[in-house]
Amino acid sequence: MKHPLIVLALLVAAFNLTAQDDLLDMLEAEESIKNYKVGPTWKTMKLVNLHSTSMVKKNGLDFRVTHRFGSIGEKSGGGVHNLYGLDISDDIRISFDYGITENLQIGIGRSKYSELIDASIKYKVLAQKERKAPLTLVVLGNIATTPQQAVDTRYDDWLNTLSYFSQVIIARKFGDRFSFEFAPSLLYRNLVLKTTDADGVNAEDENVNISLGFGGRFMITKRVGIIMDYMYTFSEYRSNYRPINYYDPFGIGVEIETGGHVFHITMTNAAGIVENNYIPNTIANWGDGGIKLGFNISRVFQF
Amino acid sequence: MKKIYTVLAAILLGIGALPAQDIFMVDSSYVHFFSEATLENIEAENNKAKGLINRANSKVAFLIPIKSFEFDKELMKEHFNENYMESEKFKAATFKGQINEKINWKKEGSYIVTVTGILNVHGVKKSRTIKGKLMVKESRIRVQTKFELKLVDHDIEIPTVVFQKIAEVIDVTVDLQFSLKK
Repeated sequence: MKHPLIVLALLVAAFNLTAQDDLLDMLEAEESIKNYKVGPTWKTMKLVNLHSTSMVKKNGLDFRVTHRFGSIGEKSGGGVHNLYGLDISDDIRISFDYGITENLQIGIGRSKYSELIDASIKYKVLAQKERKAPLTLVVLGNIATTPQQAVDTRYDDWLNTLSYFSQVIIARKFGDRFSFEFAPSLLYRNLVLKTTDADGVNAEDENVNISLGFGGRFMITKRVGIIMDYMYTFSEYRSNYRPINYYDPFGIGVEIETGGHVFHITMTNAAGIVENNYIPNTIANWGDGGIKLGFNISRVFQF
Repeated sequence: MKKIYTVLAAILLGIGALPAQDIFMVDSSYVHFFSEATLENIEAENNKAKGLINRANSKVAFLIPIKSFEFDKELMKEHFNENYMESEKFKAATFKGQINEKINWKKEGSYIVTVTGILNVHGVKKSRTIKGKLMVKESRIRVQTKFELKLVDHDIEIPTVVFQKIAEVIDVTVDLQFSLKK
């Protein structure tokens, strides 16, 4: 009987000493119950190839110019005569993304690669908090069309030019330096190659491609970081059809933020910038020097 | 038996240590800061400030959660938190001090006071004496102050790569209303 009383007395005494002697301690104790959102996981809405969970802020317009040069290595079409790919532009994309609310953004873009025009929507479902909500979850979808003229009549039907991409991005910020994300994705193309090639080999591409993306960032200083991403695609056609070797896009880059602008200097084997292009069509390989230098400039106009 | 008395005495002492009717707590707050800059001025508001005044010994404490500063532009808020204030690490700005003047808390009126104490911003503590206006009215207290804050005093870095030039001194305005803590 005595023990609980003593404990209680000590507790009460301790509470009075710590809590009431120091006003600031009382305030800090009260404040520590709050559960704030964790600061930004990423600085901008894309890593090298992969989308991040970052969104354009409400009433913000993100104007982006993304560029991919040609491959560096001679074996992959680079070499000294085109200054290691710098004379070539595999893809250029100009895009605008607008933040309708804090959690909803829409965008349009146009790429050089297959003259792709895309419209996208991105929605933040969950934001990482200090406690209880350990992850940020964002869903992304796009629809794209190519106005390209095919040599045959395949694109005569407009529906055949369409492709759709959807992705769930799950990210976490670990401390102030490291962020990581995981992104299961699905690409659907209305028209794909289904034929027998000249050698009589079955070349049947899939309409549906399921991919898994992984991305990360490590901050060196508050404004400079290393970004990296990789996308694995489950595709029987891509693994088995040997006349063309397909590879998984892998990208690495440096991110520099200057207050309003975010610059990326990147290296990747993907020629296309938009998922609808790079998931099915990456045929360059890091091992053969199929690395493309690239950059990305993002300027946010905040209204 | 003796032990129980000791225990009871401890409990009573504990409870009696500080009469609750002397503690006043913020129930409405307005904190504003302003900084002149080349492209656009930087300013933000916060109404999530907390504060306590102990009438018995004229001690005061304030706490301002950094993440609760609201800006006109969301991107500015992100930069403020991530690049300047590092609010993941230094979650709040605090002040803890003592009113130097003798205040007659029973009498309604307005006093110009100075408060000496420790200002902690961005995890860097500075001893400051801040002048302000204290208004006592029935069961309410109101505190108003305006002071300057030097970024360099609190190790808040202005990176050289930023296009925007930012003033090195920030003007802070504080208006807090207190009522008796229940």
